[in-house]
Amino acid sequence: MDFVLRTSKLISLEEAISKYVRNGDLIGLGGLSFWRKPMSACREIIKQKKKDLTILTFVGGLDVDMLVAAGCASKIRSSFVSIEIFGMAKNYREAVEKGTIEVVEESEASTALGLKASYLKVPFMPLKGIIGTDFTKIRSDIKKFKDPLGSETELMAVPKIDLDVALVHVNYCDEYGNANIQGAVWLDDDLAKTAKNTIIITEKLVETEDIVHLSRNAQIPDQSVQGVVRVPFGAHPTSCFPFYTFDPIHIQKYMDMDFKKYQEKYITNKSHADYLEEAGGAKSILEILL
Amino acid sequence: MRNNYTIDELMTVLLAREVKNDDIMIVGVSTPLVWAAFTLAKVTHAPDAIYHYIMGNTFVYEARQVSLLYLEMNLHRGYKFQSSSECTLESLPSDTLTTIEFFRPAQIDEYGNTNNVVIGDWKKPKVRLPGCAGIADFSMLYSRGQFFYCPRHDKRTFVSSDKMDFISGVGFKNGVKNVGGGSGPQCMITNLAYLTFDEETKRMKIGTIHPEVDLEEVQENTEFDLIIPENLETTKPPTELELKLLREKVDPLNIRKLEVLRGSEKENLLNQIISEELKKENKFPELLTPEP
Repeated sequence: MDFVLRTSKLISLEEAISKYVRNGDLIGLGGLSFWRKPMSACREIIKQKKKDLTILTFVGGLDVDMLVAAGCASKIRSSFVSIEIFGMAKNYREAVEKGTIEVVEESEASTALGLKASYLKVPFMPLKGIIGTDFTKIRSDIKKFKDPLGSETELMAVPKIDLDVALVHVNYCDEYGNANIQGAVWLDDDLAKTAKNTIIITEKLVETEDIVHLSRNAQIPDQSVQGVVRVPFGAHPTSCFPFYTFDPIHIQKYMDMDFKKYQEKYITNKSHADYLEEAGGAKSILEILL
Repeated sequence: MRNNYTIDELMTVLLAREVKNDDIMIVGVSTPLVWAAFTLAKVTHAPDAIYHYIMGNTFVYEARQVSLLYLEMNLHRGYKFQSSSECTLESLPSDTLTTIEFFRPAQIDEYGNTNNVVIGDWKKPKVRLPGCAGIADFSMLYSRGQFFYCPRHDKRTFVSSDKMDFISGVGFKNGVKNVGGGSGPQCMITNLAYLTFDEETKRMKIGTIHPEVDLEEVQENTEFDLIIPENLETTKPPTELELKLLREKVDPLNIRKLEVLRGSEKENLLNQIISEELKKENKFPELLTPEP
């Protein structure tokens, strides 16, 4: 018998997006607001001109706004989409107001429990919240029911969310997909564990032995992961704690620029190195991010 | 005599006064005014209160200066880390934790129902707002009830219940307590007044009016009729100590003010905060400990 090794899942970002993200897919994006968002993957999706994607994320920001502006996303599922203190997510807002994209109104729990239902392979999860709100007027798939065990408690059934692809940016990962997140995890572990295909984009590529010695070990285990991509500073202009903060100067530029011009300058035909160069290069890395 | 404080300072102090020593203080996304208020409470009357950072999914004891760029350094000093799904499932809808969270509604009616989803018809909105995050899930479950604030008290925000475009947070809907079991709306702190809710009718009521504001101004900026108490009192202004701590220790960069300002004023302050914070040699926001 031959000497064999475990199969590495290392892959280029270009290949990962072209192989796993198909037009019309339901894509889960990790991170929250402008923290640890898989921005390099979003830029690659835009480069490859993917279409009709449904984007699901706990709290959306630049990720959602860019994918909408570039025409890649046709449906958004999120409990909150905003660039926070920098202002409204203008492209997202405009598209919803014009009716060019669809919104599936989510709350934090409808997203969290929807993924949990998928993980448990049950059609829905019960929720005490949402009762009395107008969610039921616009979400025919959320229904009130009475506790079948007889406590008379009224509950809401929120449906499972089965993702096609999860894109999660992390601090450390080995080549098999054991991923370690240093800061907040948000819903990233559930996104990764429930999606048919999960792509981990990592700042640092390490060996499994190193993951074992990191605090909190692997929040995402390798059996949930299909592809591992190494992209240092890949979350830029969002943060990747504790490696770098979000880039307020770049976010301000984004807010002031027409998206077509932004895309031309930072995304179209730009490698990741080109992108970082355009975004201020070593100077902004040293003076802003670190 | 003119007031010796600004409206963001008064509001921050009023929010802080709502915090009790055994509270779990939920710090939501994009709410520096609330964060400053919680931190002020920590260094004045509520040293044992615990931050629950939604941005970090952490429980944190330490009070540190409010920061815009480096706030992750504050929220990762947690003694307990969770994931958002654990927060959603376990800690937020708890009957035993005395949780306090301040919501900032885009619309609120006389019964404290709120809207953070859309202005206009949901299918073709005039304004698509960010969304309600966890308000729909948890607001009606909190045993201490719901707390609101609004830096711009006007008729766009304070609307009659029949004009609400969408209900994403349930108050005393139709004047009754929600089935969720929480205590329901408690107060609404605005730039004009401190509002409460009437025990019997569950309608919004004037608690106190801020110094130099008159009753007409409050009512004129509210679409529904407010209940007016027999003895109308003035809001107790911030004390010298509250102002000193807020200005010098808690939020010297005025980050909370971003929630109050708009247009070029906000833009200028934002630029100033960013450049001040980038200049800092030590990026860790200052740990706030009592002076010896």
